[in-house]
Amino acid sequence: MSERSNKAVLAETPAQNGRPKVVFRSAGDRFLLAEFGEMALDLTLNFRVLGLNQRLKDAAIDGVIETVPALRSIMVHYDSTTLAPATLIAAIEEHYAALPPVEDLSIPSRAITLPLAVDDQWTRADIARYVQYIRKDAPNIINGNNIEYAAMYNGLPDAEAFVETFMATPWWNAANGFFPGLPFMFPLDPRYAVVIPKYNPTRPFTPEGAVGIAGPCLAIYPVPSPGGYQLIGRTIPIYDAQQRNPAFADNPILMKPGDRVTFTRCTDDELIALRERVYDGSYQYQIEDGVLDVGDYLAGLQAIEPEAEAFRRRQQEAAEQTPLP
Amino acid sequence: MFEVLEGGIQTTVQDFPGRQGLLDQGICPAGPFDNLAFRLANLLVGNDPGAAALEITAGNFQTRFEEDAVIAVCGANMQPKLDGEPLEMWRSHRIGAGQTLALGAVHGGGFRAYLAVAGAIDVPEYLGSRATYAPGAIGGFEGRALKKGDRVPTGAARAGSAAAGQRVKPDRVPTYGSEWVVEAVPGPQSAPDYWTWNDFDHFFSHPWKLDRNSNRMGYRLESHGWEWARKSGGVAGGHPSNILDNGYAVGAVNIAGDQPIILCVDGPTLGGFVCAAGVAYGAMWKLGQMAPGRDKINFKEVTIDEAAELARQTEDLASAASIERV
Repeated sequence: MSERSNKAVLAETPAQNGRPKVVFRSAGDRFLLAEFGEMALDLTLNFRVLGLNQRLKDAAIDGVIETVPALRSIMVHYDSTTLAPATLIAAIEEHYAALPPVEDLSIPSRAITLPLAVDDQWTRADIARYVQYIRKDAPNIINGNNIEYAAMYNGLPDAEAFVETFMATPWWNAANGFFPGLPFMFPLDPRYAVVIPKYNPTRPFTPEGAVGIAGPCLAIYPVPSPGGYQLIGRTIPIYDAQQRNPAFADNPILMKPGDRVTFTRCTDDELIALRERVYDGSYQYQIEDGVLDVGDYLAGLQAIEPEAEAFRRRQQEAAEQTPLP
Repeated sequence: MFEVLEGGIQTTVQDFPGRQGLLDQGICPAGPFDNLAFRLANLLVGNDPGAAALEITAGNFQTRFEEDAVIAVCGANMQPKLDGEPLEMWRSHRIGAGQTLALGAVHGGGFRAYLAVAGAIDVPEYLGSRATYAPGAIGGFEGRALKKGDRVPTGAARAGSAAAGQRVKPDRVPTYGSEWVVEAVPGPQSAPDYWTWNDFDHFFSHPWKLDRNSNRMGYRLESHGWEWARKSGGVAGGHPSNILDNGYAVGAVNIAGDQPIILCVDGPTLGGFVCAAGVAYGAMWKLGQMAPGRDKINFKEVTIDEAAELARQTEDLASAASIERV
């Protein structure tokens, strides 16, 4: 049989001058996917993506409708009746080549603090419904929660140690998507980079505001929905279509890519009171403007690498001993 | 203003092209699922082609008009009747205050009808559009499908637009069967790096039955035992259909494990399953007229250039060039 070529790959730019390679893939006739580097969990790829995405937005290329950044890619929505893919690719390559080295990037990054009711009554209720209706023997559910399993899977002594661990790092919002305003967040501090497998099968119910982790990624559910992430707790709304709080005055969506989220603990009763104050408009979300200086961040990582490596090793050993869902 | 007497299965206010520029916040475009019949209905009554109008899914919708109006019904044949008398589709009609329009079950092919009213549906814009996105409870009429008792405001018809008595040129009225050819472009995750060529050839040669459990978010096709070019998804997860999350194109054919799902106008904007092909933009309207549980899809491979040409043809069909005075 004659050689068949990959019709989806429109162009490839090899790695050069310290910049990771780019693969340009067609996604229908109105979308182009630009993928950076290898398929690896590397936040520096996301820093480049967010830097390049801002440049593409500022450039306002004729025929480009919008761009969608994700962990290591940008999806470009364009009008192929007026903008040829080759022209679009050349424009993206030009902006990518002009992007400063990653350590010279500073990315607008707000520090957001969210209250978190750990092992709360609402996520417990949906976990109980899952046990009742979907799967009775799910190994990821112990004593009606997912946290004890998360602790086992990460080689931590108990649920409390797991909660302390994942709350010790700020979480970097790499992208919004799936549902309105759903953040896909990754740990900035690799010493606390917990990993948990997803539900199997998925869970039909999840409360709005639930905080879940799957793989290395932490998400907050903006609306009640099905889900596959292991549930850790519940926070205040990050999406409000009715825009009942000043934080939603301009946009029903709270989070932006590049935001850093830190959690503080509260009780269920405190969360009820906080959520009421969100909706009556009196709660003020804790948000501080700032930037992430990537050079400083990467320098800091070097100093903690031995500890991070120790955590990863312990995590992997524990994972091998732990049954999968 | 018109009053809803029967909401039907799912009747929503939509506009075209819906909410644009918000995919990076997780907000899908929404908008009419069949944007061709939708735009023709608006053009017939003298509206902008993208003006807010009703999408009526699977029939059984009834409404009473409180004022005189000019209306048009396009799309699937739900045997529309005005005060019990058959109302011709693909044509604009002047109707009087107090008259009742009733749509019944779908007769023949197609699945969605569009009701345009001169002056358009006058609901507030939300994030730049009047389109209903029911899963996020935004847009349209209170962010939801219409139900009995709703009173839906309409705007003033354009000055000088005596739009009754127009029709869609007979050779430009789309026809709906139960086996569809849908043009699609391979990628972004296709063969040989994600799929094998056997997988690729199967996808583009198999008639795919549309699952009963399909809606504006996703069109589910039959599961298939794909060969997959990769053994696992690596860091992204155990299954070879897993990737590190990336943006999803509207119309992408997502392969979630074994099952292909076409991501439609209300679909997710980002996720971690491969998308092996993308429905051509100029063919998206066809999806809106497919009946879940009955219709079949034959995907036809096209290049981006061919798809762009198809988009131009669809735009021409959805333009004033398709309208004539009777």
